[in-house]
Amino acid sequence: MDVSYINPFIESASNVFNITLNSPLTRQGLSLKQTDTPLYEVSAVIGLSGKVSGTVVFSISAPVAFGIVKQMLDTDVAEINADVADAVGELSNMIAGGAKVHFSQYNLALGLPKVLVGHNHVLRFPGNVRPICVHFKARWGAVALEVGLDTLAISTENTADQDADLELAASC
Amino acid sequence: MKVLLVDDSGTMRTIQKRCLLKLGIGEEDIVEAVNGQSALEQFDRGVFDIVITDWNMPVMDGLTLLKEIRKNDKEIPVVMVTTEAEKSRVVSAIEAGISDYLVKPFTVDTLKDKFQKWVPAMV
Repeated sequence: MDVSYINPFIESASNVFNITLNSPLTRQGLSLKQTDTPLYEVSAVIGLSGKVSGTVVFSISAPVAFGIVKQMLDTDVAEINADVADAVGELSNMIAGGAKVHFSQYNLALGLPKVLVGHNHVLRFPGNVRPICVHFKARWGAVALEVGLDTLAISTENTADQDADLELAASC
Repeated sequence: MKVLLVDDSGTMRTIQKRCLLKLGIGEEDIVEAVNGQSALEQFDRGVFDIVITDWNMPVMDGLTLLKEIRKNDKEIPVVMVTTEAEKSRVVSAIEAGISDYLVKPFTVDTLKDKFQKWVPAMV
């Protein structure tokens, strides 16, 4: 996957954390996701569809989830409950939504976020997708953002545009 | 001042409701709905002064809700609070008759400024 596609997601995540949570989000590194198991116990999953398809996973630990709820709702929670799932889902929605603007040529639509909880859940990306994982540090702990886009569709789209340009040039 | 507040996220409804309460709207004057369909049912049953709605929701989305409202009510302010920031989406909302638009994420101050603009009773 072309790593440049990750940049809008990094930018959006930082923006959402700064504005909504008053927390800087410090980037720690990048890696290629090697396994189907999420890094942390709370995963918010958003599907992307349109001319390009893909999946965005926002993965956080329980302490980070509790911090998010405290900041957004001024509510103390000690377990991952419906309020936590909702807040994390909404945050992931904002991150994906903010990044989507940079892919307007692909007419992307966001699915509704699904939040999975627990250390044993499995998240599989489609076979031709190698998700990139961006590691961050927020005020309450570690955060990961996994983005897997079907770049075959992007390459095909770009090739089609190039072919159209060539046809137009030949006809002039 | 009666408000119809529509969002499938309880978190977002809570944040917006707290802002409305701070601006002087009574709790009994804020009616919540979790999607466009239930919002439309509330809208048809009650008398509201403003509708504040998300865009992407299950069952019926905010744009469809807006279009349904505008079939019979061209005047009521409808404010969209959404992650949808692309120009084409904003244009489609304007063409459907949206009164105002607020893109998530937003600070509480931005939310307050937006709501104050449409609710003159607020201080």
